[in-house]
Amino acid sequence: MTLGKFIERLAQLVPVLLGVSLIVFLMMSLTPGDPVEIMLGDQHVTPEQEQALRHDLGLDRPPHERFLVFIGNALQGDFGTSFYHRRPVGEVIAERLPATIELTLVAMILALVTAIPLGVLAAVKKSTIFDKASTVGSLLGVSMPHFWFGILLLMLFAVHLHWLPVAGRIDYEYQVEPITHLLLVDSLLRGNIAAFGNALSHIILPALTLGLAMGAILMRVTRTSMLEVMRADYVRFAEAKGLARHRILFRHALKNALIPTVTVAALETGTLLGGNMIVETIFGWPGLGRLVVESIFQRNYPLVQAAVLFYAVTYVMLNFLADILYTILNPRVKL
Amino acid sequence: MRLRTTLLAAAVAATAGVTLGAPAPAGAQELRVGFSADALTLDPANHRNRETETIIRNMYDGVLTRTPDMQLAPQLAEGWSQTSPTTYEFTIRDGVTFHDGSALTAQDIKYTFDRLIQDGAMNGQTSPRKSLLGPLDRVEVKGDRTVVFTLSEPWPIFPAMLPFQEVVPDGFTGAGAEGGANVTSNGTGPFKLVEWRKGDAVIMERFEDYYGGSPDNPPVGKACVERAIFQIIPESASRVAALLAGDVQIINELPAHAMGQVENNPDTEVLTVNGTRTFFVALNNAQPPFDDPRVRKAANYALDKQLIIDRILNGTATPLNGVLSPDAFGHNPDLKEYGHDLEKAKALLAEAGHEDGLDVTMDVEGPFKDTAEAIASLLSKAGIRAKVQVAESAILKDKWRSDEAPEDGQMWLTSWGNGSLDPVGIFNPTLTTGGRGNSAHYSNPEVDALLEQAATEMDQEKRAALYRQAQEIVNEDAPWIFLWLPQDIYGVSKRLTNWQPSADSRINLHDACLK
Repeated sequence: MTLGKFIERLAQLVPVLLGVSLIVFLMMSLTPGDPVEIMLGDQHVTPEQEQALRHDLGLDRPPHERFLVFIGNALQGDFGTSFYHRRPVGEVIAERLPATIELTLVAMILALVTAIPLGVLAAVKKSTIFDKASTVGSLLGVSMPHFWFGILLLMLFAVHLHWLPVAGRIDYEYQVEPITHLLLVDSLLRGNIAAFGNALSHIILPALTLGLAMGAILMRVTRTSMLEVMRADYVRFAEAKGLARHRILFRHALKNALIPTVTVAALETGTLLGGNMIVETIFGWPGLGRLVVESIFQRNYPLVQAAVLFYAVTYVMLNFLADILYTILNPRVKL
Repeated sequence: MRLRTTLLAAAVAATAGVTLGAPAPAGAQELRVGFSADALTLDPANHRNRETETIIRNMYDGVLTRTPDMQLAPQLAEGWSQTSPTTYEFTIRDGVTFHDGSALTAQDIKYTFDRLIQDGAMNGQTSPRKSLLGPLDRVEVKGDRTVVFTLSEPWPIFPAMLPFQEVVPDGFTGAGAEGGANVTSNGTGPFKLVEWRKGDAVIMERFEDYYGGSPDNPPVGKACVERAIFQIIPESASRVAALLAGDVQIINELPAHAMGQVENNPDTEVLTVNGTRTFFVALNNAQPPFDDPRVRKAANYALDKQLIIDRILNGTATPLNGVLSPDAFGHNPDLKEYGHDLEKAKALLAEAGHEDGLDVTMDVEGPFKDTAEAIASLLSKAGIRAKVQVAESAILKDKWRSDEAPEDGQMWLTSWGNGSLDPVGIFNPTLTTGGRGNSAHYSNPEVDALLEQAATEMDQEKRAALYRQAQEIVNEDAPWIFLWLPQDIYGVSKRLTNWQPSADSRINLHDACLK
């Protein structure tokens, strides 16, 4: 059943990806800005030399032809060559992806381990000081802009306290032979505790910057839905039956209350997997967000197209994953 | 209960990170540069990007280089001579080895330049750097140590363009490594590549068999530090933080407003050097109101440049009355200065029929919005009421650097870089009729003729005189509001010795030491 649904979802991807490709292609083509002009910068170049570069980049062909070539090649797994990196875009994106995935996972874990317990507590202790404090706290978390909070963390922990490094993923003296390309995982698998500690010290600040904001949203969602579930008949029935409080909370109420949290977490993970340009810029984190935003400004068409396709696939797959999680949390839900 | 365990685990993890994450004891001398952008490629022939070149140039030497005072000096060449208006002969230095141990020969030089100038020489594509070599037609090896460069027409700046090209070994394609020549490196420079962590850092170590570098740039010998790292930190506030925290010893592009922060720290200081980028407000010479030279002059008189340099740029710019940097070849120091004179500005405007002033718009890119607003407010005192319009760089280039002058644009605060410090790199593109960077759409046949003549004049004295004359005409025509040449600003640790910023924006780490 699930396998059938999975294949169905995959099939749904085809029109989505075609549509996304067309929209991105049109948007990039219609936006003013000429990649050749940007690339040549302040150089004294003859029109012939400019034309030669245009030809090399394939930009002398009419747009519809370029689109068909792109689709044709993409079907064979070739997304083109980055104008600037002069290498296949798939390769350039793949290099940046592990850093983004790692940061997403750590930020998400940070967010979930703080948001769910705090959300439940705030719901259980509704209208107490704790509830109010956590509401104010989450409001702060949601409203603090990343660039401000990130730089604040940097100034405190890196410049004044000297506890944590400012930028990068790991120091240069640590070499970790890649397995998953996630440094935290690989260093543990290789038993290199020193490298693990160093990688952790690098990821803490960016993950905190992203994770706290996300945790704040998730906490509010968990609190609201928990309050709702606590009023449901089956919870009252369980209480009347005299079940232990923690059993009611964690076995009966929380499972159902988590459905909205899972939805929001899946969407947020999708967004994070696109890379967060601001956090990556502040912490010199070698992720995808910076690369894609730079590519948009440079009108690096092949890279932007491939990246957006990747985003579309990620979103569809994460939503599918969320759907599967619903069925586990609430067996009445059918795919 | 469960919550407590989780929090405890988080706390343990955090502490572990702090203690285990402390940097290993500094055994090796390691110099770190907090740098604003990553290299796009490591292939010296496959980019048009200044930051990429800055990084690569520490691993690769060129045929020629520059001294700290921007004079050309032989590097891999021992010497050179011009044998005719279109031929140059270079003698190649003996005893130079590449990082893989092979010896440098004349054939390597030929291969390097063939790859740059021949169509389709790079796996079917043409090097994007080809146009930097102008009319270079062919390169021939003469004996073991001599290379002859032949141009299709005279081009006096040919030697000045050679420091921009790095020499690769014969047959260099970097085969074997994924991504080929774009991700590997085999140069003759003072540092060799250890690892390129893309988007994160370029890690290099001292090349122990380095031949020593140009004798004109003492000290000659191996690099001072054992390891050099370009750590990529795009955000300027974070670069400053990394410098203050002692994580890096040099940072580039220090914003003028953060200079105080670096100066007030006991362990760091600010270094500046004249840059190579000329700033100006391009006035649309092809459309009213700026098709009238009186209005353009009025705009020049209306602006108090020094005030903006002092207040917004923290004093880190040199005012200009023309297009060329004072360090550039042929710079004319005697140009008329448009001093700040509101009365004269108003009188010129009235004479041109704008007694009540005029309303115009000024385009600007986001990073220079503050400067544009300051300029606009000063201009408005003379009656030139400019509205500042912010747009993305790519859009503004499309609008202004086109064949036709924009119909809906009057002013553009912009700039043009000139790393070669030769007028050909800036004067010709920005001020000849139809030039690629002629955003003002200025056209004066006299200037066109002078520049064309100067571009091929081999007598350096005469050539400089032609440029001086052209600058005078441009100064009088005032196609732009002449602005300034900003300094490049660096923040450095006081542990750093023997390093000075370079006026061509290169960051040469060969001489730099740490105490």
